[in-house]
Amino acid sequence: MSAVAMPSERDAVPGAAEPILVVDRIVKRFDTPDGTLTAVDDVSLSIKPGEFFGVIGPSGCGKSTLFNVIGGLLDGYDGAVRVGGETVRGPHPAIGMIFQEESTFPWRSVIDNVAFPLEIAGMPKAERYARAGHFVSLVGLNGFERRFPAELSGGMRQRVSMARTLAAEPKIMLMDEPFASLDEQTRLLLGDKVLQIQQELKQTTLLITHNITEAVQLSDRIMVMTYRPGKVKRIVDIDLPRPRTSEIVSSEAFGRYVAQIWNDLREEATRGLLDDESRKLRAGGPS
Amino acid sequence: MAETGRLTAPARARRWVQAHPVTTLRIVIIVAVLLVWEGLARSGWLYRDVVPSWVAIGRALVVTLSDATFYWHLYTTFYEIGWAMVIGGVSGLAVGILLGGSKLMQRAYEPLLYYLGPCPKIIFFPVMIMWFGVGPGSKIAMGAISCFFPVALNVAGGMREIDKVLIRVGRSFRANTWQMVTKVYMPAMRHPIINGVRLGLGVCLIGTLLAETKLSNAGVGFLVIQSYTLFNMPHMYSLLIVLFVIAIGANALIGKLGGLDQIRRS
Ligand SMILES: Nc1ncnc2c1ncn2[C@@H]1O[C@H](COP(=O)(O)OP(=O)(O)OP(=O)(O)O)[C@@H](O)[C@H]1O
Ligand SMILES: [Mg+2]
Repeated sequence: MSAVAMPSERDAVPGAAEPILVVDRIVKRFDTPDGTLTAVDDVSLSIKPGEFFGVIGPSGCGKSTLFNVIGGLLDGYDGAVRVGGETVRGPHPAIGMIFQEESTFPWRSVIDNVAFPLEIAGMPKAERYARAGHFVSLVGLNGFERRFPAELSGGMRQRVSMARTLAAEPKIMLMDEPFASLDEQTRLLLGDKVLQIQQELKQTTLLITHNITEAVQLSDRIMVMTYRPGKVKRIVDIDLPRPRTSEIVSSEAFGRYVAQIWNDLREEATRGLLDDESRKLRAGGPS
Repeated sequence: MAETGRLTAPARARRWVQAHPVTTLRIVIIVAVLLVWEGLARSGWLYRDVVPSWVAIGRALVVTLSDATFYWHLYTTFYEIGWAMVIGGVSGLAVGILLGGSKLMQRAYEPLLYYLGPCPKIIFFPVMIMWFGVGPGSKIAMGAISCFFPVALNVAGGMREIDKVLIRVGRSFRANTWQMVTKVYMPAMRHPIINGVRLGLGVCLIGTLLAETKLSNAGVGFLVIQSYTLFNMPHMYSLLIVLFVIAIGANALIGKLGGLDQIRRS
C-alpha cells in the first residue's frame, strides 16, 4: 500500500487557489483470468476550482477506471481521492458524473430523468420540476420534456444525461466521453454548450475523452495517459483565450496543440492499436 | 363500389369470407364442435346427460347465474386468487430481489427454486389443509405457492440483467437502498416482473381451482365437484362455462399487463 504518500509535487498548480480535487497516487488493479491487470498506475492530479481538465488516452488505457474511482463508484484501490481536502469514500455530494454509456432511464420522460437527482434529494415536486425544466432548456431540449429516451436521438439522450447531472448542481463535473457516440459537428456544438454552461455555473470539470480536438477545444490542461498500465505521460497547459467557441478549432495555435498531443499520444495509440480492445481508436486521431 | 349494392346475399357472404379467412375458420370450428356436441347429445349413444343438449346447458346456466349463492362462491374464488396473487407475488418479488442481488444467495438457493418450481404444487395440498383448514386459507396457500416460483425466478433473472450503468447513475446521485429499489431496480425490471406476474397468475388460477375441486367448502371449483357428485351434468357444464370465461378474462387481464410495459410512467 502506498496510500500514505504525499500529493506529488509536479501536479501542484503554481500560484493557484487550494485545489478542489486531488487525486493522490491512485493505483487500481483488476483480477482477470489472465492474471492481475493494472488499469490505473500511480496517477496523481490536482485540479483547482473552476478549472477545465481534460484526460486523454487510447481506448483501454484506464480512463473510465479512473473516472469511477474519482466518482466513488469503485473501491479496492491504493491511494486517495480528496475533495476540498476531504477523502472520498463512496459517491461525494460535490461530484456529478456523466457516464460513457447510454445512461438515461428509459422508463422516465426527459423531464423526469432530469428531475431524478432532485427527487432523490427529496425536493418538493413543484420546485424540482421548475428546476429540471430550467436545465432541460439549458441543453436545448425545450419542447421534448414529455418525450421518452427511446423517442430521442443519441445526441439528445446525451444531453438529457448532461442536464440530469447538471440539475444536481455539482461543484465538480466528471464526464466520461460524453460525446463519443456523436458526429463531429454535433460534438463541436455540444462542446460549445458544455463550455458555456461550465463558465456560467463556474464548475470544475474533468472531461475524459480520446478525441484530441475535443480535449484541446475545451480544456485548460490536458493529461495524456499511457496505454497499459495507465500512467500519466504528460500534462499540457492549453493557453488559448477564453471564452472559446468551436471556431477556435481552425486557428493556428490550436493546430499546434493538437499536433503536440498527437505526438505524445501516437506511441501509446500505436501500442493500443496492436491490442484487440482498441476498436474505437480512430476517434483519437487528429481530425 | 357501386356494384356492391346489387350483389346478391350469397355473393356478399362469399366476399366477406374471402376478406376474413381467419375469422371464418374460427367460426367454422366453433360451429362444428357445437354441432357434433348437439348430435352426440341427441343420438342417445351415451348415458343420459353425460353430453347434455345445449338447450339444457343454457337453461342450467340461467339458473346458475340467477342463484345468489353462486355469486358468493364466485366471490370466494376471486378472493382466494386475489390474496394468493398478493402473497405469492410480494414474497416472490422479495426473494427474487434477494437472489438477484447477491451472488452468494443465488448460489445457495436458486437451484432449490429451479427444482421446486416445476414440481406439481398439489402435493403440498394435504399439508396446507392441516395448516390452514378446509376453507379459503388452504386455497390461498396453494395459489400463493404456485405464483411464488415464476415471480421469484423471473425477478432474480431480471435483476441480473439490469443495465449496470443505471445502477451506477443511481449510486452517483447517492440514492439510498430504498430509493435504489423503488426508483432504479423495480422500474428497470418492469419487463421480467410483468412476465413473472403473467406466468404467476396462470399457475395461481390452476393451483387455487385445483385445490377447490380437491377438498373445500366454497368456491366455483367446489360447485363443479358438488354438481358432479350429484350428477347434475347441465349444471356442471354451466359452471365450466363460467370458469372458461374467467380463464379468458384472466388471459385478457394478462394481455393488459403485458401492455403495461408500454404505458409510460410519470
Ligand atoms: N471490472 C473490470 N474487471 C476487469 N478488468 C477491467 C474492469 N474494468 C476495466 N477493466 C480493464 O481495465 C482496462 C481499462 O479499462 P477502462 O474502461 O478504464 O478503459 P478506458 O480508457 O475507459 O477505455 P475506452 O476509451 O475504450 O472507454 C481495460 O483493459 C479493461 O479491460
Ligand atoms: Mg472508458
